[in-house]
Amino acid sequence: MRVIVKLSVLVSVVTLGLAAVACREREPSDTRAAPSAAAPSAAPEQKAAPEQKAAPEQKKALTIWWAQWAPADGLQELANEFGKRENVDATVHQIPWSNFQDQVFQEFGKNQTAFDIVVGDSQWLGRGATKGLYLDLTAWLPTAVKLQSLHPLALKYLAEYPTGSAHYFAAPAETDAMGWAYRKDWFEDPKEKSAFQAKYHKELAVPQTWEELRTIAEFFTRPGAKRYGNVMLTGRGYDDVVMGFEQVLYAFGGSWGDPKTLKVKGALDSPEAVQALDFFKGQLKYAPPGGSKLGYGEVLEPLVNESSAMAMSYFAFFPGLVDKMGAKVGFFPMPKHGDRQYASLGGQGFSISSKVPAPQQELAKKFIAWFLETDTQKKWVQKPGGFTANAEILKSEAFKTASPYNAAFAQSLDLLQDFWNVPVYNELIASTVQRIGEALDGQKSPREALSLLAAQHEKILQAAE
Amino acid sequence: MSTRPSLLSGWGFVAPALSLLCAMNLFPLFFNIYLSLTNADLSGGTVKFVGVRNYTLLFADAGYADALTTTATFVLWSVSIETVVGFVLALSLRDRVPAKPVVLTVLLIPMMLCPVVLSLFWNLILNGSYGVLNQLLGALRLPEPQWLTDSDLKFVSIVLIDIWMWTPFMMLISLAGLNAIPRYIYEAAEIDRAGRWLIFRSITLPMCAPLLGLAVLLRATDALKQFDLVMAITGPNDATTQTLSARLYQVVFRDYKVGLGAAYGVVILVAVIAVATLFVRYLERLQQGQGKREAGLP
Repeated sequence: MRVIVKLSVLVSVVTLGLAAVACREREPSDTRAAPSAAAPSAAPEQKAAPEQKAAPEQKKALTIWWAQWAPADGLQELANEFGKRENVDATVHQIPWSNFQDQVFQEFGKNQTAFDIVVGDSQWLGRGATKGLYLDLTAWLPTAVKLQSLHPLALKYLAEYPTGSAHYFAAPAETDAMGWAYRKDWFEDPKEKSAFQAKYHKELAVPQTWEELRTIAEFFTRPGAKRYGNVMLTGRGYDDVVMGFEQVLYAFGGSWGDPKTLKVKGALDSPEAVQALDFFKGQLKYAPPGGSKLGYGEVLEPLVNESSAMAMSYFAFFPGLVDKMGAKVGFFPMPKHGDRQYASLGGQGFSISSKVPAPQQELAKKFIAWFLETDTQKKWVQKPGGFTANAEILKSEAFKTASPYNAAFAQSLDLLQDFWNVPVYNELIASTVQRIGEALDGQKSPREALSLLAAQHEKILQAAE
Repeated sequence: MSTRPSLLSGWGFVAPALSLLCAMNLFPLFFNIYLSLTNADLSGGTVKFVGVRNYTLLFADAGYADALTTTATFVLWSVSIETVVGFVLALSLRDRVPAKPVVLTVLLIPMMLCPVVLSLFWNLILNGSYGVLNQLLGALRLPEPQWLTDSDLKFVSIVLIDIWMWTPFMMLISLAGLNAIPRYIYEAAEIDRAGRWLIFRSITLPMCAPLLGLAVLLRATDALKQFDLVMAITGPNDATTQTLSARLYQVVFRDYKVGLGAAYGVVILVAVIAVATLFVRYLERLQQGQGKREAGLP
C-alpha cells in the first residue's frame, strides 16, 4: 500500500512540476553563438539582448522566418550562398501565410525568439518598433547601404517608422506592388478588337484609366459564355479587400486619413471616397460568380481558367502565372483617375529580432547588408517572385525586359501607397474588411459603410494614443 | 492488522487525478480570470492590472453584441433542427429496418470525422465557381447560389453543415432513449386503443425527454463555442458569421489583446454555465416528474 501511495505522490509531484514548467516563460536556450557585451542600439522599450554561453567552435546559424511562397525559396538559395561564404547555416523557415502573423507575434511573446530575422509586413512596423520587438536600425542602415540607392517609396513604407521620421526598423527585402494581369490572347484577337471598335469607337488596348478598365470589363462580360471582365481582390481573410480597394480610394481622391493628426473623418468618408467605393463595388458586375470574395490565393484563377479578361494581384504572384499561361498573359500597372494613380504596396522588410543575442543580431545585419548589395540584388531579381527596391536595377533596361511583368513593376513602384502601419494596424484592417465587405455584399450603402468605418478608425486610433 | 485505509493513503489515491485536474482545469481557469483583469499582450511586455476595464470595453464593443447575436442565432437554429431531424430519424430507425446496422453506420460517419477536415471539404463542395454542388446544379440548369460569399447564404451554409455533422449525434441519443422505453407500455396503450399521436405525445416524447434534453444540453454548450466551421468557411473576421469564439480568436491573435480575449473567454464560460445550469435544472425536474409518475404519486 505504501508503495502505491509513494508512487501516487511521485506522479502528482511530476504532474504539477510539468505544469509549472509549461506555464513558465521560456528561458533563453539559444546555443548558436557566443555572447557579446556590445549590444547595438535599441528602441526605447527594447530589453538588452539575452546573453548565454555556447561552445565557441560551434558553427553559427542564422534563422529567417518568412511566409511560405516562391520568393522564400529564392531567399533560401541566396541564404545558402551567404552560408557558404560566411560558414553559417542560414535557414529560411517558411510558415503558411494563414499562420504567419500569429506565429511571429506569439514567438515575440517569448524571452528569446527562434528567428534572428523576420521578413515582416510593412504594417507590422509600428508594433515591432514601439513594443521593442524590432531592433532599431536607424544608425546602422545608412552604413550598410546607400539609402539613395533604394527606391524612396519602398524605403519609406517597408523600413521607416513613423513614416517620414527617418527612423528605420527594417530594410527592404521583397519590394512588391499591386498590378494587373490580362488575357493578352483575348485583347489581341482580331475579332475582339473589331467588335470593341464597333461598340465603343476606340481601339481595344491596355486601359490607362479606371474608366477605360470598366469599359473593357463590360465588353468582355458574357455570362452566357461564362466569360467575365475583371476580378479584383475582395477576400476577407486578412487584408485582401483592403489592398484591393486602397488604390481606387486614393486614385479617386480619398485616403485612409492623416497620419500626423490621426484624423480620419473627412478623408475616408469624403464624397471622393464614397465615389471610389461605388466604383469598386460597380466592378463586381463584371466579375465571375463569387467575385465578391476573392483572396490572394484565388484571384488569378479566373484568368487561368479563361473566365476573366483581367485580374488584379501582386507582382510577386505573376511569375507563376507566366509559367501557367506563357505568352497568353500580359501585365499593366494600376490605371489612373484624372491625374491620380496609385498602387497598393506589397512585400515585406527584413527586421532583426531584439530578442536574440547580440552576436546573432550582428550576423543578421551582415546578411542584410550582403543582401542589399547590388550584385546580390541582381541575383535576387532572377529568383521567382524576387522583386527589388534597388533604384539602379529598377531603371536598367536589362531588368525591364527580363520578364513580361518587370516593366509594369518598375513603373508601379512610383505609385506606391500603404495602409496604416501603427501598432493597432490589425484592428484597423479588421474593421475595414468588415465595413468594405458589408458595402460589397449590399448590406450597407458605400456612404453608410465608409461613414461607420471612419468613425471606427478614429476611435481605434484615439484609444491607442 | 487494520484493513481501514489511512487518510494519507486516501489522499495518495486521489492525488494524481486531483493534481491533473488542478493543472489542466483549475489553473488555466483562474489564470484566464487573472489575465482578463490585465492589459496582457500577445507579444509580451509589461503586464499591468487594469481592473474590469476589459469587461467595460467588451460590453461597449459593437462587435461583441453582433457576435453574441450570431452565436445565439446559430445555437437556436442548428440545435433545434438537429433535435427534430435526429429524433425523426431515430423514430424511423427504431423498428426493424432493412440493413439497419449499415444505415446506422453510414448516418454516423459525419459525426465520427474530424470537424476541421469536414469543414475544409465543405469549403470545396460549396465553392461558388468550382464547387461540386454548383457544378451539379449548373448541369441540371438550376441557379448556382454563392454559398460562401452571398451575405444571406454564408450563415445558412454554416448552419446546414453543422446540422449535417451533428444530427447523427442527436439521432443516436434519441435512439437510445426510444429503445429504453419498455415495450409493455406501448402494448398497454394499444389495448386501450390509444391513437398514434396520443401514444407519441403521452408515452414516447415524455419518456424520451430526459435523454433528449441531455443531448440538447451537450449540443447547445458545444454550439455555443462554435469556431472550427466559421474559421474554415468564412474566416474569423466575417461580420455575418463571427461567433463569440471567432471574435475571441480575432481579439487575441489578430489584435494581440490577450487581456480582452481572456475577458471574452470568461463571458463565453459564464454563458455556457448559464445554459448548462438551466438545462440541468430542467432535466432534474423532468426526472422528478417521471419518478413521481412511476411511483404513482400525484
